Amino acid sequence: MRPSGTFPREWGKVVTGYFLRRVLQGLISIVGASIVIFFISRLSGDPIVLLLPTEAPPALIEQVRQEMGLNEPVWKQYLIFAGKALGGDFGKSYRWQAPALELVLDRLPATIGLALAALAFSILLAVPFGVLSAVYRGSLIDTLGKGFAMLGQAMPNFWVGLLLVLIFAIHLDVLPAYGTGSAAHVLMPAIALGWYPVAAQTRIVRSAMLDVLDSDYIRMGRAVGASERVLVWKYALRNAAIPLVTILGVYFAAMLGGAFVVETVFAWPGVGRTVVEAVFSRDFPVVQVGVLLTSILFVTSNLLVDLSYGFIDPRIRYDR
Amino acid sequence: MIRRSVLGLAAVLALAPMAASGQGTGTVTAGFGAESTMLDPVKYSAGVDHYFMGQMFEQLVRVNPEQRVVNWLAESWSVQEENGKPFIDVRLRKGVKFHNGDPLTSADFEFAYNKMRDPKISRWSHNQAEVERFEIVDDHHFRIRFKQADGNYIANFLQLWAVPKAYYERVGEAEFGKAPVGTGPWKFVSRTVKDEIRFEAFADYWNKDHRPKAEKLVIKVIPEDLTRVAAFKTGAIDFLDAVPLSMVEEFRKMPGVKTLTVVTGNNLFLNFNTHQEKSPFRDVRVRQAAAHAIDVDAIIKSVLFGQGERYVQVGKGGVGYDPELKPYAYDPKKARDLLRQAGFPQGFEIPCYNLTTPREPNVKEVGEAMFAYLTQAGIRCRVQGMEYAAWLNLARMGRNAPPEMDGVFSHMWSQNLPGDPGTAWAGHVHTFVPGKGWGSYSTTSDAEADTMIAELKLTMDPEKRAALARKIARYKHEKVLGGVPTYRPMVTFAWRTDKLDFTGWPYPGYWRGMQEVVVKK
Repeated sequence: MRPSGTFPREWGKVVTGYFLRRVLQGLISIVGASIVIFFISRLSGDPIVLLLPTEAPPALIEQVRQEMGLNEPVWKQYLIFAGKALGGDFGKSYRWQAPALELVLDRLPATIGLALAALAFSILLAVPFGVLSAVYRGSLIDTLGKGFAMLGQAMPNFWVGLLLVLIFAIHLDVLPAYGTGSAAHVLMPAIALGWYPVAAQTRIVRSAMLDVLDSDYIRMGRAVGASERVLVWKYALRNAAIPLVTILGVYFAAMLGGAFVVETVFAWPGVGRTVVEAVFSRDFPVVQVGVLLTSILFVTSNLLVDLSYGFIDPRIRYDR
Repeated sequence: MIRRSVLGLAAVLALAPMAASGQGTGTVTAGFGAESTMLDPVKYSAGVDHYFMGQMFEQLVRVNPEQRVVNWLAESWSVQEENGKPFIDVRLRKGVKFHNGDPLTSADFEFAYNKMRDPKISRWSHNQAEVERFEIVDDHHFRIRFKQADGNYIANFLQLWAVPKAYYERVGEAEFGKAPVGTGPWKFVSRTVKDEIRFEAFADYWNKDHRPKAEKLVIKVIPEDLTRVAAFKTGAIDFLDAVPLSMVEEFRKMPGVKTLTVVTGNNLFLNFNTHQEKSPFRDVRVRQAAAHAIDVDAIIKSVLFGQGERYVQVGKGGVGYDPELKPYAYDPKKARDLLRQAGFPQGFEIPCYNLTTPREPNVKEVGEAMFAYLTQAGIRCRVQGMEYAAWLNLARMGRNAPPEMDGVFSHMWSQNLPGDPGTAWAGHVHTFVPGKGWGSYSTTSDAEADTMIAELKLTMDPEKRAALARKIARYKHEKVLGGVPTYRPMVTFAWRTDKLDFTGWPYPGYWRGMQEVVVKK
């Protein structure tokens, strides 16, 4: 319920307070993520053995370790990293010998583009499937919709990707097999990445729709002779969409983090590939930047979703 | 084989007029599975860097189609001695230009040397450790003076790369890495990391016989094997690098497609822990039993789809290669007998560490097969898979912390092409000597082998070096020191015959020789 007697000035203050509190919580989460990734990545072992040739003499190994500051205690290394990071310096990639931030930021637009396209694909399928499954509960449409959605969840995305390449690139020759450059290039990677969450999203829409379709105002609408199509697609869906919106931020962030496999299959020049390759080569600065940026995007998208509740459903109130 | 050679010769002759004119046409679009991190030869860190760097940069010598080292930017070179210290006397080829028009001079090599010996810049600075100084005689004549002899310097193509001093100093290190300039057949145009790199033919390339036959070269980076194949099948790329092993036969039979399969410079082997007191592998009979227990030929045929070349200590044509040295025959009965003689009638159980890495295809499966053979013969493996970084951590000697290599492990150490085993043997056969760089990954200790390997490092004369390497190879083989050699991986290239022709030279290994790809009209 809207806070009584406080709208609109008081409500604005409440939102601002809520926003600041959430930003603070987000910052704490990001710092926490930076600590966790910093220490965990160092548990994987010494990056020097991967950086230098196998025959490198011990004196050289020690010298390079010192230059990289890897001989300091890990807590001290973290403080040095955090201090520099506050000034925007995330260090140089061990392997690429270039600024880690630049390396990741250059790849980020490609990954965000892919994640957005995948999210759009999943919504485009989940919403109609969810609505139709609810409206025609137990029917063939319901079964087929659920089956299609479940298929996406059951198949690993690398396999879906390769299957799509086989069908649409090799056999039908209608889509490019890999790379970027046009809308056609994004179709198969977006499907491979976006199919997986369709099942969960469909379930959310379906159960929300079932609740809403059972509600008084819909029954009233029917009683006064409103068109079923208008009732379902305009009035019911608008309310049923709220739970879906709440979870989209999480899905978007998960897609950013999980795009690696799809990026590899389609030679998509994204940040996922860059970071996972950095994990294998123990390129700590790149891993740190990649995880931090993903954390920031995760926190930001969740914050935006939380703030959007009030606009979608004015009944939702923010605690002071 | 003869027919193939004749066809190859015919192709070379047919292309000769075009090559001489230096007028390449068309664009070659190639798909590579791996990507270089560095384009700067003084900073390169991995073998894959050569695929890209080698299109633009050159060294003093390189390898010819018969896998012999020939003079390249060096017109001539020789090892000489003064006051008991050796030096390499180099005369540079005249008329060589960098892509920006600057002439190549001795100062450019001196500049490269200064960069390559600096550990803050080069990952390979230890390769310059024995060099005392670089002496310029004139613009096309210089000497590399050594504190003491260093055979590895010769083995590694005289180490240095031609880097344009004036341009490098003007633009700085970071810019040079983004817009590199070399003397090679291809000029850098642009690069999008994780996506592609573009080159254009260098019209002033000094070697008129090997100027690029195409006008432009685009290398697409497509890491996933099947996607790379799909890109080739749909015509998005015309030249396919590293055909997946399981598809090589299919490609060979594919109409309108030609393939070229070559051996690569890596050497794979199975190694044992012999440095721990209680290791059963301290007994040469147990090591010989392991060598007899594994059917390497069957593994190459079944697991590698035939895409591996068996070698004995040194690859074909390498320094010290001995055609009379034969691999241990697969003989499980003899393996069990040897184990019995060594006091293990019931065999024994041991950890077997399986290296898993994308650096070589199917290496994990090869390890699994080898360990299954060992188990069958009585060396019962407790198999443990190890990702490359973890494996390095376990295998490297001289660490102060556990774990310790306490069993059998799959191993690889490149002897390069055509091949010189000096560096590899110093690393995995010579006894580990803390702080000295010997035996950094060695679980072997044999005084006689150590003496010979140390002598090999000091031997710069090519003939003496080959004779000594042959002697070590025989000794190593008899005593099964530093592991059982298994195979050298092979790589297959494929191209569309309606669009391209490719003669696979020079040295299609690291360098890929993309200037030899002709775009048909």
